Amino acid sequence: MSAADDKTPGNGPELAGDERQAAEYAMGLLEGEALLATRGRIAREPAFAGLVAQWEKRLVPMLDDVEGLAPPPELWSRIASDIEDGAGESEVVSLHRRVVLWQRVAAGSAVAAVAALALLLVPLVQAPGPAPAQESTPLVASIPIADTPLRIGVTYIPGREELLVAAEGLSADGVHDHELWLLPPGEGAQVQSLGIIAPGTQKRVPLETETARSMHEGAQILLSQEPIGGAPDKSAPGPVVAEGTLLKT
Amino acid sequence: MIPSSPEAREALEAAMLRMAKGDRAALEEVYRLTNVKLFGICLRILQDRKEAEDALQDVYITLWRNADRYDGTRASPIAWLATFARNRAVDRLRSGKVRRGAVSVDEAAGLSDDTPSADTMLIDAEREARVHSCLETLDEKQRTPIRTAFLDGRTYAELAEQAGVPLGTMKSWIRRGLLKLRECMERGE
Repeated sequence: MSAADDKTPGNGPELAGDERQAAEYAMGLLEGEALLATRGRIAREPAFAGLVAQWEKRLVPMLDDVEGLAPPPELWSRIASDIEDGAGESEVVSLHRRVVLWQRVAAGSAVAAVAALALLLVPLVQAPGPAPAQESTPLVASIPIADTPLRIGVTYIPGREELLVAAEGLSADGVHDHELWLLPPGEGAQVQSLGIIAPGTQKRVPLETETARSMHEGAQILLSQEPIGGAPDKSAPGPVVAEGTLLKT
Repeated sequence: MIPSSPEAREALEAAMLRMAKGDRAALEEVYRLTNVKLFGICLRILQDRKEAEDALQDVYITLWRNADRYDGTRASPIAWLATFARNRAVDRLRSGKVRRGAVSVDEAAGLSDDTPSADTMLIDAEREARVHSCLETLDEKQRTPIRTAFLDGRTYAELAEQAGVPLGTMKSWIRRGLLKLRECMERGE
């Protein structure tokens, strides 16, 4: 094969637009912001989610070229015991199960209260919604949860006294609450509570006027683990388990 | 039961539906029918036995916790589960915490060439899927990176480096290949 061939294999048009984004997502080629933005679209746009599903369905037979292999026999025991920790699981019917699961203790996780809830086409991330017509650019913090592909999304539209908190990926463990905190940039800045996370939801959280004024680009958003009911002392967060930075979108 | 037999596929469909209703024994049946396939996929992507085990555990636990979202209308549970396992493994890989390539997959798995592969439930036992024949119609420079990206979870940057071409070139190859792939597959859809 000549050097010229190297530069021009399969000359011709490229896949473009939504189809390309959907295909690249299904292929696993997207990273970073492109990946987050795509997950956001899957969450918001059923037609786009359909394109992704179509690509996944087209590509999945390729996985038959991967040789199967038996995992170690004890793996099933690990799965079973993790599930059994839920207690009373066998008596629980579907309708009640999720509630029970939210009350269980997730064992052995670095962030004990965090458990993956997302399935295949249910996006793992709720990216911030499209910015409404505003004179100011929204500030967004994306807070990765350790050891999982999950993120908590925090969106603040300047001038408002509310915060949009997307915590779809989180589940409660019944033992702790998780609380969000604002740490403004600069030395000597005081942390301010942004309230307790409502797991599994996307919620508008009202802000104190003073807190809203401190929502600036570059401020840190911290996620702490607290006793049920939140930090007893609102000037001192418990162990910080994840963090992100407010940035302009 | 031969894993890819129609009986096995029916057993899996039935087990998935029972699992969706909260039947814990059904999850074990789903595991029994699919763990070989899904572990193979996780190991291929992650190239590390410990990581693949953790990924597999995560796949079944997540599946159980969300079982009530499964609605029996999906065409093929094994295709759905394979996609799910692959995507979870790729997410894990992209999280940047996986030390990959430290041990070769054969070493990690304790495999040698003459080890017979375990019985595997196939997505497409008859290899009727268009993607197989359509991949054959692509230029080799498009086909190889597309297969490597999908089966090994490689990024554009890694594929470009592997092939010794600029990133933009690799993107073009793959995007042209994907367009041709779609056109070919649509003729059969």
